[in-house]
Amino acid sequence: MSGSAAPSRQRRALAGALAALILALPGVAASHAIASTLVAQTTPAPSAGQPEAKPKPPEQTESKPPPSAEPVVASNAASVLGKKVVGPKGENLGLVVDVLVDQSGQPQAAVIDFGGFLGVGSRKTAIDWKLLDFSQLEHGETVELGLDRSQIEAAPEYKPGKPSPAVVTTPPAPDATQKNP
Amino acid sequence: VNDPAISVARANSESKPAEAAAASRGLDGLNLFVANIQTGFGPFISVYLTTQGWTQTAIGTALSLGTIAAMASQIPAGALVDAISSKAKVAVFSILAFSASALLLAIQPTALWVYMAELLHGFSSCTLGPAIAAMSLIAVGPAMLGLRLGRNARFASIGNGIGAALMGACGYYVSERAVFFLTAAVTLPAIASLVPLARLRDPIRPPKSGPSARAPISSLLTNRALVIFALCVALFTLGNSAMLPLAGNILTKEAGDFASLLIAGCIIVPQLVVAAISPTIGELTQRRGRRLVLVIGFCTLPIRGILFATLGNPGTLVLIQGLDGIAAACVGILVPLVASDIAGRSGRYNLSLGLIGLAIGVGATISTTLAGWIADAFGAPAAYVSLALVGLLAVLVAALAMPETRPLSEKPGS
Repeated sequence: MSGSAAPSRQRRALAGALAALILALPGVAASHAIASTLVAQTTPAPSAGQPEAKPKPPEQTESKPPPSAEPVVASNAASVLGKKVVGPKGENLGLVVDVLVDQSGQPQAAVIDFGGFLGVGSRKTAIDWKLLDFSQLEHGETVELGLDRSQIEAAPEYKPGKPSPAVVTTPPAPDATQKNP
Repeated sequence: VNDPAISVARANSESKPAEAAAASRGLDGLNLFVANIQTGFGPFISVYLTTQGWTQTAIGTALSLGTIAAMASQIPAGALVDAISSKAKVAVFSILAFSASALLLAIQPTALWVYMAELLHGFSSCTLGPAIAAMSLIAVGPAMLGLRLGRNARFASIGNGIGAALMGACGYYVSERAVFFLTAAVTLPAIASLVPLARLRDPIRPPKSGPSARAPISSLLTNRALVIFALCVALFTLGNSAMLPLAGNILTKEAGDFASLLIAGCIIVPQLVVAAISPTIGELTQRRGRRLVLVIGFCTLPIRGILFATLGNPGTLVLIQGLDGIAAACVGILVPLVASDIAGRSGRYNLSLGLIGLAIGVGATISTTLAGWIADAFGAPAAYVSLALVGLLAVLVAALAMPETRPLSEKPGS
């Protein structure tokens, strides 16, 4: 990027104003759109629909606001901490209490607090991130997990202090697979 | 005997039987609803805060804050309740603090407000418990206190049982947040129960005598019976409080789809036992003395620990929890009763209760940590056996060192 920070901020503000005029959107939406393109520029987001960050030179942004900014990052991302986890039959399994990530920041497992009654006797288990379905997170406020209780119970308890926590991946125990076709 | 406590108690209970009956019903309701309220403030808070996006560390901080607040305020709260002659007033403010605390949690579950709610609840728990015990003592007098406390325990356990069922259903079918609105709503009947108790006045504080009527605080700390009693209930709690969470954890691991129901059973079964036996236990404290009841109650703990360690069947765990009910009834009645034997007429009754409460709090705090650590390192059976051994120590201290505190006038035939 050329130039100091202040002029480029002015340019972006101008782009925001232009976007507001052209798209006849409220100013807030336009600035959100710009914020999301900024995120796309600085961090490569693999999940984003448009991998090409078009407006790299700021001159292009000035002339035409990027339509690719429409999927706002905030609407594609949702908070996962404290969300309910439901099983294949829609049964309530527990709550997401933590997310374990690898060195590159990619989520590896979710720590889920299972079972209990009024907070007594619940048990934490780390579940492989790939086993969780987040498609209902935004609307249903739930995370889906294709395992039933018996499979989770067979897994060792997650202990925060331990260096390498055991993570439940596909079938954790042979007897559990028989129960769940 | 020219004892002001007894004469006022007679004036309170005997001269106006209608009022005494009303006071009795008031205490019944108060114990029922307060126990109901307290269910919401238990471990469920951590479930609720989790659903609000709180991290486990932040929840730990908030709950520790509540524990520390409760422990730090036991003794000052006791002294405060001693100094206020209308215990009903103390109870009203404590219950109002509970509703404020529940509403803060329900409406604004963000750090500052949750901390405030925890502090409020921690402190007011320390004023409410002693205030209820003191009102019971004032209403019936020391001679009948054992029976009254038996009744208190019965209603409190019914309240606990109903509370657990109600709050559990509310959290499951409505929402976690609704539990705290429900908790706040239950404070209203609790306050209504105080109406017939509003006239009770602490006889220890005649207007002219002032603070000189009280025994010096140092006399409590050097009272052998009080210190030994505090020590053995602390030991009992150290062995007892981690028992249920540990059993629940194992049920969740092994009991499959019914785990939550069985854990609910583990919570409710002891309450049923308390409700069934506590009047008998109260009577037993008057007929046979306090020490015998203390030893019986404590004995159930090592037995329970060994049974938990050896019998793995989930259904049996629920039945074994019935033993917890026996212990809970004995300890629940004896704490306010022994404190009354020792300090009921010294003007330091509530301070003594605070001291015992502090000992119980310390025991409970260490218990969970200790049992968790042993279970991690050596497995759950080792943890059960260790807790059982601590319980055995409590039995030995109670049997060998605890003096009988029952006043001479209460012996049968007098």
